[in-house]
Amino acid sequence: MVEQRTDKGGEARATAWSVPTGRRTDEWSESLVLIGKHRDRAAFTRFFRHFAPLIKSFALAGSSLSASHADELVQEVMLKVWQKAEGFNPEKAAASTWVYTIARNCRTDMFRRLQKFDTPLAADDLNIDVEEEEPFAVLHTRRGSDRVRELMGDLPPDQAQILAKVYMEGKSHSEAAAELDLPLGTVKSRVRLAIQKLQVQMDRQ
Amino acid sequence: MVMHHPSVDFLTAHAAGILPVAQSACVSAHLTYCEKCRRSNAQLQAIGGVFFEQLAPTPVSESVLDNVLARLDEPEPLHFADTASVARAEDSLPGVLRRIINGDFSQLVWKKVTRSLSISHLNTGDTHYEFALYRIGAGGRIPEHDHGGSEMTLVLEGGFSDGQGTYHPGDFVYRKNTDIHAPVAIDGEDCICLAVLDAPLKFTGWQYRWMNPFLQLRAG
Repeated sequence: MVEQRTDKGGEARATAWSVPTGRRTDEWSESLVLIGKHRDRAAFTRFFRHFAPLIKSFALAGSSLSASHADELVQEVMLKVWQKAEGFNPEKAAASTWVYTIARNCRTDMFRRLQKFDTPLAADDLNIDVEEEEPFAVLHTRRGSDRVRELMGDLPPDQAQILAKVYMEGKSHSEAAAELDLPLGTVKSRVRLAIQKLQVQMDRQ
Repeated sequence: MVMHHPSVDFLTAHAAGILPVAQSACVSAHLTYCEKCRRSNAQLQAIGGVFFEQLAPTPVSESVLDNVLARLDEPEPLHFADTASVARAEDSLPGVLRRIINGDFSQLVWKKVTRSLSISHLNTGDTHYEFALYRIGAGGRIPEHDHGGSEMTLVLEGGFSDGQGTYHPGDFVYRKNTDIHAPVAIDGEDCICLAVLDAPLKFTGWQYRWMNPFLQLRAG
């Protein structure tokens, strides 16, 4: 990590992601910026060594992809990381969230390909990034997400377990209910309680 | 100002990537109108980020890294999603819809169902949910109906009222099987909605009941 620290001197870059939230960005966000702006292969290799094993676990979660498909997914996701890194904005999202969304989309597309599910929509099409025009909106969004990250550790295990099934294993509420031998209503209410605890802003039904 | 939003359940399922493609497209279209839900969506994705970084790592062989490094210089495939935000200024349709329509709004094929209602079916590949645009003539009414299943509606242009509320562009309405309603387009402008149905509408008024056989679900 030494070369990364020394390389980070550029002041424009340092201010670009230190000010608005008043929060230090993590080292992986710094790596992503290096990868995006400088096409830094050494930074990419470090990034790969950290994230590829997580992407592989994500591919295998829910155990519906074979090991070779999981490796294929790792390659697809990491290539996208390289291609999209320039668009990564550390003010908007944490590096791990950013990689998660890419992995989620690639996994969805791979599932659909393997199931011969024919759709004109790629998962990326369903998650089009809208550029917020208001700087305040960006800041607000980032703060809300940081809050979620802080609060995740306090989730009661029964709620965290269901959220993990939904997010990591891609299980629907009814699949989660069947696997955990719980009524569907219990699963749904635990998800809602968890979302409330994480202070996800929702003023709706 | 968007007043009606998808439920926590829908937004969470969308962020986790588990919503059926037709419904996910409808939620995605709502997000292009609604800053509030975009913020919720970012927060809901952050949940995924935390679980993701806490996964127990699975070893990946060096050959995978070598393969990726060897492919870094491949030309990047130009993907629609990357160009969507640029085109958005010229076209008020949500990006996901332009992707589905894959061309000009004026090239859509509309099927007239009643004097004031036309429907254009679109293909999302979803085998369970029908995805269609509804156009209600200004001041016109969709005959009173209930839903064999569920109906997600997103207003794209104009607006409608249905006794439970009045809805404007960006508003998201979800109705379950037993809700009977008779939407009326607001005067002065045609109302265009995106509707995602998991069963055909059933018109409940006697004068329209003959029409039901013609309203077969057209998923796919």
